[in-house]
Amino acid sequence: MMLQIAAQELRYMLKSPQTVVSFAIFFLLTFFAMISPNVQIGGGGNVDVNSPFAITMTLLTLNVFAVFVIPAFMANAILKDFDSKFDGILFSTPVSKPDYLFGRFIGAFAAMSIALAGAPLGMLIGTFWPNVDPETLSPTNLGHYIYVYGALVIPASFILSAIMYAIAIKTRSLMYTYIAAMGLLILYIVTLNLLNGPEYRELNAFLDPFAFTTFTEMTRYWTAVERNTLLLPYEGYLLTNRLIWLGVTVALGALSYIMFSFRAAAKMPKEKKNPMKAVHELLASQVAVGNKGTPIWGSSTTFAQFWLRTRFEVKSVFTSLPFLIIVKFSFFLTITALIDRNVGYGLDAYPVTRLMIDAIRGGFGLALVVLLIFYSADIIWRERVAKFNEIIDALPTPNWVYVVSKLAALGLVLLSVLVLGIVTSVTIQVLSGYDALEISLYLHRGLVHTLLPFLLVAVLSAFVQVLSNNRFVGMMIMVLYLISTLVLQALGFEHPLYRFASDIDTPMSDMNGSGRFIEGDYWLIGYWAFVSGLLLMLTYMLWSRGTLQPLKFRLRNLRAFAQPLSGAAAAVLLMGAIGTGGFIYYNTNVLNEYVTIDDLEELQVAYEKKYRQYADLPMPRTTDIKVDVDIYPYRRRIEVRSNQVLENKTDEAISTVHMVFPPQADVVDVTLEGATRATFDERFNYHIFELNTPMQPGETRALDYETLIQQQGFSHERNSVTLVRNGTFVNNSEFAPYIGFWPGGMMADRNTRREYGLEPLPRTPKLEDASQYGNNYIRQDSDFVTFETTVSTVEGQTVVAPGYLERDWVEDGRHYFQYSMDAPILNFYSYLSAEYQVIREEWNDLLIEVFHHAPHTYNTGRMIQAVKDSISYFNTAFSPYQHKQLRILEFPAYRRFAQAFPNTVPYSEGIGFIANVSGEGAIDMPYYVTAHEVAHQWWAHQVMAANTQGGTMLVETLAQYGALLVMEKTYGKDQIRKFLKFELDRYLVGRATDPEGELPLYRVENQQYIHYRKGSVIMYALKDYLGEDVVNRALRRLIDLRAFQGKPYAISTDFIAFLKEEAPAHTGLIEDFFEKITLFNVTAAGSTVQQLADGTYKVTIDAEVAKLYADAEGNETAADFDIPVDIGVFSKNPEDEDFGAEHVLYLNKHMITEDGSIELIVDEAPTHVGVDPYNKLIDRNSNDNLRAVDTVELMAEAGSATGQ
Amino acid sequence: MLSIQNLTHTYPNGVQALKNVTLDIPKGMFGLLGPNGAGKSSLMRTIATLQQPTAGSITFDDIDVLADPDSIRRTLGYLPQDFGVYPRGSAYELLDHLAILKGITNHKERKEVVEGLLVQTNLFDARKKKLSTYSGGMRQRFGIAQALIGGPRLIIVDEPTAGLDPEERNRFHNLLAEIGEEVVVILSTHIVDDVADLCPNMAILAAGQIIKKGTPTELVDEIKGQVWKKVIERDQLDTYKENHNVISSHLTMGRTVIFVNADANPGDGFEASEPTLEDVYFSAIADSRNGSGAADAAA
Repeated sequence: MMLQIAAQELRYMLKSPQTVVSFAIFFLLTFFAMISPNVQIGGGGNVDVNSPFAITMTLLTLNVFAVFVIPAFMANAILKDFDSKFDGILFSTPVSKPDYLFGRFIGAFAAMSIALAGAPLGMLIGTFWPNVDPETLSPTNLGHYIYVYGALVIPASFILSAIMYAIAIKTRSLMYTYIAAMGLLILYIVTLNLLNGPEYRELNAFLDPFAFTTFTEMTRYWTAVERNTLLLPYEGYLLTNRLIWLGVTVALGALSYIMFSFRAAAKMPKEKKNPMKAVHELLASQVAVGNKGTPIWGSSTTFAQFWLRTRFEVKSVFTSLPFLIIVKFSFFLTITALIDRNVGYGLDAYPVTRLMIDAIRGGFGLALVVLLIFYSADIIWRERVAKFNEIIDALPTPNWVYVVSKLAALGLVLLSVLVLGIVTSVTIQVLSGYDALEISLYLHRGLVHTLLPFLLVAVLSAFVQVLSNNRFVGMMIMVLYLISTLVLQALGFEHPLYRFASDIDTPMSDMNGSGRFIEGDYWLIGYWAFVSGLLLMLTYMLWSRGTLQPLKFRLRNLRAFAQPLSGAAAAVLLMGAIGTGGFIYYNTNVLNEYVTIDDLEELQVAYEKKYRQYADLPMPRTTDIKVDVDIYPYRRRIEVRSNQVLENKTDEAISTVHMVFPPQADVVDVTLEGATRATFDERFNYHIFELNTPMQPGETRALDYETLIQQQGFSHERNSVTLVRNGTFVNNSEFAPYIGFWPGGMMADRNTRREYGLEPLPRTPKLEDASQYGNNYIRQDSDFVTFETTVSTVEGQTVVAPGYLERDWVEDGRHYFQYSMDAPILNFYSYLSAEYQVIREEWNDLLIEVFHHAPHTYNTGRMIQAVKDSISYFNTAFSPYQHKQLRILEFPAYRRFAQAFPNTVPYSEGIGFIANVSGEGAIDMPYYVTAHEVAHQWWAHQVMAANTQGGTMLVETLAQYGALLVMEKTYGKDQIRKFLKFELDRYLVGRATDPEGELPLYRVENQQYIHYRKGSVIMYALKDYLGEDVVNRALRRLIDLRAFQGKPYAISTDFIAFLKEEAPAHTGLIEDFFEKITLFNVTAAGSTVQQLADGTYKVTIDAEVAKLYADAEGNETAADFDIPVDIGVFSKNPEDEDFGAEHVLYLNKHMITEDGSIELIVDEAPTHVGVDPYNKLIDRNSNDNLRAVDTVELMAEAGSATGQ
Repeated sequence: MLSIQNLTHTYPNGVQALKNVTLDIPKGMFGLLGPNGAGKSSLMRTIATLQQPTAGSITFDDIDVLADPDSIRRTLGYLPQDFGVYPRGSAYELLDHLAILKGITNHKERKEVVEGLLVQTNLFDARKKKLSTYSGGMRQRFGIAQALIGGPRLIIVDEPTAGLDPEERNRFHNLLAEIGEEVVVILSTHIVDDVADLCPNMAILAAGQIIKKGTPTELVDEIKGQVWKKVIERDQLDTYKENHNVISSHLTMGRTVIFVNADANPGDGFEASEPTLEDVYFSAIADSRNGSGAADAAA
């Protein structure tokens, strides 16, 4: 019987729209995610897009969203009998309660499972789509899809279905079931957001009903090979998690069964006597009957009608349940986004308004889109759904009143949501004591600029609804539109004039506001507003009044355009659209070149084909640079005049000199002494000079050039973020020539190269490639150079370049600054021009300055302290600082990094300047970043690395080492441990997703997760094993050998050789750290403690240790564990906040013997033991290194128990 | 007053709802009688500007209804056959809302109009109740109240009494009778008594065509002496249908009474019957069915 009911329910559900629609949605989502190159869930890099990992990631992500679908099945299964009042008939039949309850559930769940199967199918079919790069695909394995669907997706949906079913039975209301589903989702997301620290990962993994965090936790450090081949096994977290939820499900099932009764009374509407009847009669008798009113026609009536309808629609939306649900839901999202302003290392930024606006846009953005699509349909079809349309439509109210009031209402609804976001945001700012409220910024960027595009889409949605005459067709078309906004650009359709409601990136900065970017964007908004105006007119003319009629009938209504008013309005709108569209076209295609990504790629390919042949020609090198730069931040212009000296440093005569100027720089004039320009290729700004007499080895020639950057109007993409009104930050690669073939002009991405039939380009020359030892990795056309510059900017701004300010003066309304440099520098210099405040401090003959945006004073003190601490430490540990000055310069948040130029550190406002470090034990990121950049004055600007593998190890890893040492001195070992935990995690995650595979540290090819993250961990462990003095001695020897010299530059093996010489006993360890990809796995597997007669304690620790060598893709081979490892005994858990040095009873390195057992005697009673307790070694499972003491045998009992 | 010329409407699926309908409707109550599916609602909707016909024209006084729907809407009151209401809102609120949409923008006047109509339709004491809780009769009365706002000169009521109990129907008839003779009221219905009780003029619509028009008296006179009745056994019905032009049959106290149309007494126990409007209606329908049946056979 139960099965019959189930089968019947399944048949019923298969025919109902929720199954068909859900299946279609799931299918399309994964299908598009698979075929769209800019959506990647789980895949990417070496991980194939149809790998078991990507399948699991995609399907589990989608499973979270399935919560929206589950109530439709579960509530429907049980509620349809009540809703259709069929319960009376049904419950009087002899069907039994379990048959009915469980039969319905099984049938509905089966139908839902079929709908959910759309997801794996969409993915599978997507992999056969022609534009999916076959290199990113594993061989199709149906088993993977079936396992993920059957073993992960279905159990999770089963649990949630059971919950929803129980709620539906209890509440007997579809709406409440939906609310419960929403509530569950909110709870889930908020919990994940609140408990997102590493310390909660385990808890999340155990309790996540979707098993999503369980999956991410179990696969966190999986390498590409593992991700491509392994399925998530039913063990550990997953097994426990599923067992917990199985229990919950069974309990809920039992509970639902008990709660449900066939005899539950249906609610009858109560009939009430009207006690006020007499009063009503009295009132009625006073009413004059007969006046039917005199209609007044005119614009005031029309306006009154418009206003009435608008208020009516707004009220209808505000009081509807889905609106409240969506808003509450996104309200939580927004609050979490507003509170979580993570800028790295567990730090939050101060609540500056632009970040808050970003959070509002992010948090409410989705809600606005959903509201828009759902309610534009709902509002437009309201009269029809209520079956009130025939009355309304026969009324003498013009079409446009209905259409425009509906859209106005939609606009007001969206506006109110944004206002809610802003009020919340301001409240949070006030509560956190941030008083620089920027209400005008909120109104502009948070409200107006955010809302306008949504209004445009609302018009489109209304138009589509009216055109399609069908609510669901209209909604589906809008979903397609949304998908198109995501993929059109990726497919090469970039022009904003044909992408509805397109925009131009408008990043925000505190220094430069919205800059010029927003102007172009407003032109686009204007253009689309005119187009939308026309759509709006079409919408109300084609508006279906009364019976729904096919479009061809309604087209007759377009004759309304012939009326003078409509005709004139349409003409104005059309002219407006043509005018603004023309202006946009003039900007994007005439003033600027319209270049798509594809065009750019083709340009790169053509450049490579034409000029790569010259890559190995001998070329002279720049040795001296004199450059005058005039920056016009408001006129968007930079003028450059330079005299350079080129020297033939090769040992052969040079008869042609090639040079490439940057694409955006116009070359006004270029002359090379004793040479004529034989070729000038404007397309690539490529110049070839024939020398009248060849340049002999050692000979020098003067190179004089003038370049000009003049930006015009706006482009559709890639507008310059370097030359802006306040906060210009340009460097020489934007206006100065590269001597010889410029390798940076070639396409680097190996997947794109494959599309064009090009061999992959090596990321970096091999470590053994001696031909590159005389080239540095920053640029290969020069070595250390002399440098002086005079630069001017508008009055009121300060412009800073590397070097010392010789003098500055004002002339003709411009401020000139002359800088010269006392030491040779790399050919790498920059100019920053802004309205700066300066904090200046003289300290031990050193001038420290921070040039910052006036309000950003939060962390300037920390930065200055970091400069002092760093320089004083590096002066003794490494070598003397080569300059007498160090300046930190803030630049707009359009870019987020800090960079070390000679005695100058440009530093984005987006990272250190607004980070809030005030929390207890917080990692001082501004301090760390500053120390890192100061260390670059040694590791880059004294010792430069050759252009080979391992180059960035000498620059970035050593800068990390410097920063770690300074941080440890100031903040202590605990903070370093905290810091290194982040670094280790980022390394392990990074290696899993490297597109080209991991390399050992000494062969790093500019891979950030290796040279920064692994570098930090390795250098700290190295210092621990070898001793700080030993490491620093090796570094000093490296400086002695290679500082300020370019022939040859340093290579990573130089440093490793010194290390091995300084610490011969640790050769194996040094090789493990630098020359191999080494993973350790150490575990404190057990411990016993025995109190001895003299009151001391004997501790036995069972240490399990392993060492593995990995290859580029993560294949591992076991190796002997041959290094000593820290063994610690503690009287408090080292993870505790108040853990201190006094709790360390024992900490020393031990070689681990075969049986792994270690015996120690300590004076106090221990609580915890640890094997590598501070996680100095790279260990993928760093949580099992510490262990609470298992058994303690106290003296008295020990005596009786063991008879000793 | 209202003139309908050669109105034809074909739905996109090919169904021809109206075939060359031509009607002149004078002031006063006009009954449009027809069975379910005859095209009454299509005709009503077309006049009420809710549907564009395939061909034909409609004029009201000098307003071209099809070309200038906004003008006719300004003087139109329409009670659709089947309507719902917004889920929220009381009768008073909704009438007030509709009054603004009908151009009554003066607040004071609107209050007077709305309250007057509520009293007139006997809904005053229920004016604050949600419309969604109204009974069918109350809802129809609300419907006529909203149609009367603004004193329209053309009122269309489409099947207003379907499903009402006799008391409510009576009350509704009284309401319609009060509307007055100076305006055009088109009452579409399949209930003969509605027309018989209320309408000085009428037409019968079947299968999209006007098959009879005139005053009820004229139409009854037309078939005087042509209607005969007989009480028969139920199982004899088919035999009689074969041999006579049976226009209707109904049961009286368990026995079947049949009415046939014939120029002379068919004999066989038939006796003369005084024709009623119902006989007119049934014989017209029967004729049109036979006619179309013959046409089908010929094709």
